[in-house]
Amino acid sequence: MAPTPREEAFADSLIGRRVPKLDAPDKASGRTRYLHDINVPGQLHAKILRSTEVHARIVSIDVEAARRVPGVHAVITAADVPWQRPIGITKDHMPLKADVVRSRRDEIAAVAADTVEAAEEALRLIRVAYEPLPILTNSAQALGPGAPLLHGEDLRVPGRNGALEVVHKACSDNVSMAYEYGHGDVTQGERESAVVVEDVFWLHYVTHCCMGVSGVIAEFDASGNLLLYSNTQVPFLHKREFAELLGIDPGRIRIIQPPIGGGFGSKLDIYPFEPIAIFLAKMTRRPVKLLFTREEEFIASPTRQPVLLKLRSGCDREGRLTFRAVDTIHDNGAYTSWGATTPFVMMQTISSLYRVPHCHYRTRAVYTNNPYAGSFRGYGNLQATFAVEAHMDKLADALGMDALEFRLLNAQDPGESTPQGMHFRSCGFKECLGTAAERSDYEAKRRGNLEHWNDGNPIKRGIGMASMLHVGGGAKMYPSDGCGTIIKLDDFAKVTLITGASEIGQGSETVLALLVCEELGLPIDSVTVVNNDTAITPWDVGVHASRTTFIGGNSAIGAARKAKRKILETAAPKAGRTPDDLDLRGGHIVLKATGERIQEIGRFLRSLHFSEKAELVMTTYYYEPPSVHLDRNYKGDVSAAYAWATQVAEVEVDTDTGIVRLLKITAAHDVGRVLNRLGIEGQIEGGIVMGQGYALSEDLLVEDGMIRNPNFRDYKLVTAPEIPEMDVSFIETMDGEGPQGAKGVGEAPAICIAAAVANAIYNATGTRIYALPFTPEKVYRALRGANMPPKWPEDAA
Amino acid sequence: MAELRNYAAPRSLAEALQVLASGPATVLAGGTDLMPQSRSARVRFAPTLLNIQGVAELRGVRRRDGAVEIGALTTIATLRDDPAVRNGAPVLWQACDHFASDQIRNAATIGGNICNASPAGDTLVPLLVLDASVVLASGGAAGIHERRLPLSEFLTGPGRTARRPEELLVEVRIPVPASGWVDRYVKFGTRPALDISTIALALGGTLFDGRLENARLALGAVAPTAIRAHDAERVLAEGPLDRARIDRVVDAADAAIHPISDVRASDWYRRELVHNLLRRILTDVCPN
Repeated sequence: MAPTPREEAFADSLIGRRVPKLDAPDKASGRTRYLHDINVPGQLHAKILRSTEVHARIVSIDVEAARRVPGVHAVITAADVPWQRPIGITKDHMPLKADVVRSRRDEIAAVAADTVEAAEEALRLIRVAYEPLPILTNSAQALGPGAPLLHGEDLRVPGRNGALEVVHKACSDNVSMAYEYGHGDVTQGERESAVVVEDVFWLHYVTHCCMGVSGVIAEFDASGNLLLYSNTQVPFLHKREFAELLGIDPGRIRIIQPPIGGGFGSKLDIYPFEPIAIFLAKMTRRPVKLLFTREEEFIASPTRQPVLLKLRSGCDREGRLTFRAVDTIHDNGAYTSWGATTPFVMMQTISSLYRVPHCHYRTRAVYTNNPYAGSFRGYGNLQATFAVEAHMDKLADALGMDALEFRLLNAQDPGESTPQGMHFRSCGFKECLGTAAERSDYEAKRRGNLEHWNDGNPIKRGIGMASMLHVGGGAKMYPSDGCGTIIKLDDFAKVTLITGASEIGQGSETVLALLVCEELGLPIDSVTVVNNDTAITPWDVGVHASRTTFIGGNSAIGAARKAKRKILETAAPKAGRTPDDLDLRGGHIVLKATGERIQEIGRFLRSLHFSEKAELVMTTYYYEPPSVHLDRNYKGDVSAAYAWATQVAEVEVDTDTGIVRLLKITAAHDVGRVLNRLGIEGQIEGGIVMGQGYALSEDLLVEDGMIRNPNFRDYKLVTAPEIPEMDVSFIETMDGEGPQGAKGVGEAPAICIAAAVANAIYNATGTRIYALPFTPEKVYRALRGANMPPKWPEDAA
Repeated sequence: MAELRNYAAPRSLAEALQVLASGPATVLAGGTDLMPQSRSARVRFAPTLLNIQGVAELRGVRRRDGAVEIGALTTIATLRDDPAVRNGAPVLWQACDHFASDQIRNAATIGGNICNASPAGDTLVPLLVLDASVVLASGGAAGIHERRLPLSEFLTGPGRTARRPEELLVEVRIPVPASGWVDRYVKFGTRPALDISTIALALGGTLFDGRLENARLALGAVAPTAIRAHDAERVLAEGPLDRARIDRVVDAADAAIHPISDVRASDWYRRELVHNLLRRILTDVCPN
């Protein structure tokens, strides 16, 4: 049957198509100009001198010889910037250290010079005398009796009026941040339980490994306005924060983001190198460029939050969960960054991944002399899910219940609210479970693998399942969780989409362009996206919490609909129609009912611009999601939508060597709706590989505060031959609030791989491993009973 | 790097040897070890940097007089693609196939891999099993002197060899194995590419009537150099390869190794790997 004109008119819908990323040709051909490729006339190169001690008092710093190196313009220490102010989430971190260094990464001095070589030569000539202090190398030690206090004194800096003010209060117990959440009564939950399990888990250090290392260019103009070329994921928040650091009006700071070579959450905080580059620019009155080396990137960029976690959970005889009780100790490192706030996400999983009638959650983030933890894709959820999904298997097995059936019994339905206050308006959890199980033949394989535990063959096969819940409609952590958009149409129906939403490689500009084109009936190549300059783009919170497609997308749609409305309202009288009779399709104004073309949009826009009553089509829109802040008990519907996924991992374990090969991932993701199929496939595949690295190979080895493998030789990212077969299904629940029904998915695919792999290793071998990562020696030791399982410290209460 | 004063890029072996004869020089071939080592200050440059890449006569694989002769500048990629290597010394071919990545294989040379003398050097274990020897040249325009040394004598310690300062390693010679020769190679790392061995094993010999004759067993990353396990070889030669003999071979190999604990593995785990993987290849080479 031939398509009707209406069908034909809608056949050009872009939703669900495979649209190549707009920036792909430039990136693939090496034409993209990253920060590293940008050189500003007159710029100096900066280098930072870091501590050689893990914890020490600085006795003296001698920079005289460094200042005499030819080509050196400035050598600074804390003494040169007495007005510097602390950075970080709790303002406990001075960019340049004056008296004490608390970790191996600590910044002591910095140089600006004509060349990188001159700056490095100057660094070599700086002499620092230290007086070593006792070190805290793990979080349990930090809580123990008599532990040295890492921030035991008030941090005072000169305020605006010159008088000293306390910016960070003395911390008397090394606990930087603490959280406690509860609903129901876990004691009652335990009484109602037929089975109770308790385990301690250790979630290790990994780091982001962005291909583009950290860097910044700082430049003041003649009027003292600051321009930063920055890789930040949160330009508008940082504009304000830099202004506070410098004591200037935020309006005098402009941030330009060149294409960013990977973020994954690492660029949500301000790190010392940024204020240091600004200090040097201020002192030299020259643009200053500072780029990390790869080794520096390993040593001085944030890690994923390492967590020691004790989980106790139970279920009744029928298999209904009765309670969960969690206590965690987060190793904060020497300073407080976003890693200390991962409990916000962890407690959502503990309280609401499956129905949990009684729940208690507690975290203490404690100071140590280790590297400090920042935010990283998944934000605590990988850690929480690892423990929760281990217990889902253990409880089911203890009851003798099928592990899928057990999960389905406890999984939520659409419309449910959880005791923590999350409201699941759309919820494809059970479809995710069913689809992933069916497509992987989970139940039959899980039973079948058990028969090979003792068959003498050293190579074992295993299958394991895990699910996840994550915010999919932003997360209201700031006063606003909104995003602004400006849309401008030119005489040829080309669209300039000016959005606050930053591109960090996730494909946001393509999906936002797609959503706009869908509204305006224009082809994708008619859009230019402007998204990287705070002087041009409207406000946005930043790239985090899997929010850009949802929030930025709704904002872009809002602006596009206003533009469309304006076109149709102006065109309708001329066509002798009402605006509601008309639509925009295939580059034309068309009759909505029949698809009949009335006028080409470009021609219409020209007639509009060049008429007597000349008008432009240029619109703005600000989208604020209908979510709320968590209350003081950490309850509330913090996201406008929630994303779900189930992933099934199939592994092969060589019990002679402990090596685990990941053979296949079968994933089912509730994504609301697929917008750009190519983009979402790429994002999910990339996330799976990131989860694979977390599970199997990546391990930042921190010993006595030192990183032993700050290089890609010994820090093992997953390489191409290790990537498993992937079978990804999309569950389209058409979220009512989402842009065209979509939900955020950026973090989701990385979250449950490690949990699924742990369950698969158990299914293969009968050995459950409670500490990540599953590198060959660790797995081999566990198989031979030669490992040390994680222990909860006795004196940590 | 500041002490580097001269750079020499000769076009002939005689010229290169002349440079070596005139004073301390650091030899640059593929640079895949030298560059990272010098950057991390693990290797200090001698006053002269001698780039031998232009010495064309040091490249290529020849088969002559019952031996495969490999020029020192032959890249790992060339070796991997050479039919003489693949057919005549499959155990070496496998090691080349597992060697780092394509980019590194295109630059790295066999001479460099040998002279770097890493205990984990990928080509060393198969070369020991193949009973390879190295040819060292010295002299200059007035005449070239060559001496030949078994590889096992050339490797003297981690990063240390029997090469004299005025000598250049110019060739590797591998006697073509007798007919009936079988061999096995296993490199264990955490991933299939771009990895340094946790341990490596190679086994070769002539399979006759259930026993492995003229057996050679080499081990990497478990001692200060890649080593031959002579006692284990003697046990192999004594009789058919049954379960009891495999146990004794494994015991003898265990006695021959001195693994260390480092960032990649503990000594205990390295021993366990040697036991389990040696047992696996012994069972595989003689399935009865």
